[in-house]
Amino acid sequence: MEEKMKERSRCNWLLYGIIAVVLLLPCGKSFGDTSGKIIIFNAGSLTIPLAQMEKEFEAKYPRVDVLREAAGSRKCARKITDLKKPCDIMASADYTVIDQLLIPAYAGWNIRFATNRLVLCYTNKSKYATKINAKNWYESLLKKDVIWGHSDPNLDPCGYRSVMVLQLAEKYYEKPGLFEKLIANRPKENIRPKSVELVSLLQTGNMDYAWEYRSVAVQHELKFVELPDQINLGNYKYDTFYKKAVVKVTGKKPGTFLNKKGKSCTYGITLLKNAPNTQAATAFLRYMLDDQGGLKILKEMGQPPFIPCRVPTAEMKARLPKALRDLVEVRE
Amino acid sequence: MKREPFFWISVSCGIVIMAFIILPLLQLITAPSLGMLKETIQDKDVVRSIWLSIYTAGLAALISFVLGTPLAYLLARSAFRGKRLVESIIDLPIAIPHPVVGIAILSVAGKNYWIGQILSELGVRIMGSVTGIVTVLTFVGLPFYLNATKTGFEGISPRLEKVSRSLGASMFSTFARITFPLAWRSMLIGLIMCCARAISEFGAVVIVAYHPMIAPVLIYERFEAYGLKYSQPVAVWLVSISLILFFLLRILTLHKVKE
Repeated sequence: MEEKMKERSRCNWLLYGIIAVVLLLPCGKSFGDTSGKIIIFNAGSLTIPLAQMEKEFEAKYPRVDVLREAAGSRKCARKITDLKKPCDIMASADYTVIDQLLIPAYAGWNIRFATNRLVLCYTNKSKYATKINAKNWYESLLKKDVIWGHSDPNLDPCGYRSVMVLQLAEKYYEKPGLFEKLIANRPKENIRPKSVELVSLLQTGNMDYAWEYRSVAVQHELKFVELPDQINLGNYKYDTFYKKAVVKVTGKKPGTFLNKKGKSCTYGITLLKNAPNTQAATAFLRYMLDDQGGLKILKEMGQPPFIPCRVPTAEMKARLPKALRDLVEVRE
Repeated sequence: MKREPFFWISVSCGIVIMAFIILPLLQLITAPSLGMLKETIQDKDVVRSIWLSIYTAGLAALISFVLGTPLAYLLARSAFRGKRLVESIIDLPIAIPHPVVGIAILSVAGKNYWIGQILSELGVRIMGSVTGIVTVLTFVGLPFYLNATKTGFEGISPRLEKVSRSLGASMFSTFARITFPLAWRSMLIGLIMCCARAISEFGAVVIVAYHPMIAPVLIYERFEAYGLKYSQPVAVWLVSISLILFFLLRILTLHKVKE
């Protein structure tokens, strides 16, 4: 009799055990078992740091496979809104793209996590390399024997941003006519399709100075002149001043044009509402937006991160996944 | 007579190859509307770029003719140590990826290299100049001229030249009066090949010179900035104008042979 009771209670324990395991399983999946594919659409300029982050993250979570697709920021958004391509995370080189194209239908929030800015790159062999600094750079660019260039404003955002810096310089240094004079000393032949191509022209000594994003300069180990925040398009506090720079670029067909207004290079990131793998993607964001994780890599690669990252309102912060809230501050 | 299966295999292979070459080109040529084509050819940038393409390619062919003919003759007529090596070096530009050609030329022309320093002191600029474009086109076109011309020279019996020399004609006079009249057809084919190769070059040129734009670079720029719709008409014009030019040259050569 006693024997039987014992056996029954043992059976019960076993049953409770099984029930407990079954009940806990989903929780286990959501906490400890980060796996599967994470699809990231990213701006081209984030490709190199994201590749590094992917490596580190996948070393931590071996069952995760991060898939990156690089394109222009607007194109990334269009792939989500127009082509309905599945995507977990979208990282844009212009945070307003997420605000304008993805919120509210495709995403609920937008974290500003890094900046970039325009710098004037050169090498040891560039003319007047020993004399150039943040105060006199435009005097060097006005010299007849100096060859400098930027990328094509019609093809490359870095191209029209370079031209904007020159326009802002005229206003900031209060030197009327400076912009015209600078452009007059930059023959059309010194324009290239993409800014990265200018790097090889600098390195082979075919060009003395070239306009690049700071990240490109750091990643290619070039020397560069840092410009004041008011003109380097790197600080969104000056967005109202940046707006005064207007560059005419080609429109939808030859002979038509549209105006591009100056704006800071502020990077934004979001998790999509119908992300196929929200759980792993949140884990990735938690790693990426940490100052010991992804932000550290961004810093090393020349893209100054916001530590901590920023959202504009407390209301938006409340909409973030719980795991990310402590990594973000509310700041205009 | 009953045809062997091999004949039919050859014919079907031929049809596949013809379709493979013609269909994409036909698709390209028929895609833009006549209105678009008209609008495109009235665009000054387009006319300028096509003209620049034709005359830089022509210059490359001319340079290949002047510099290449003596070398082709030497290779066809004499045997020397290292001849195979020279011949392989001549073929190198065909095998190197095009952007690499552009990068290589730029690195020689930069101030970090002695040739670049001399050029810069002489005021010659390679980057972004017509000189640069012609340099690149000559680099990629030269092997085609050399090889065609060499084959032409090899086809002429050296005996004819020896007779001429034994009768007291100088080496140059022999070349001008015996060899050249017999070889000019292959030289012309060499020039056409060189020109055709040069006119189609894009990858190397875009690295050395984006502006001024040759037609293939303009086609690329239009494609990147406006999309396929606006790059196709430029391509159609470039293809048709080159086709007409090369067709005329071919007719010229064929005509002579019938005589």
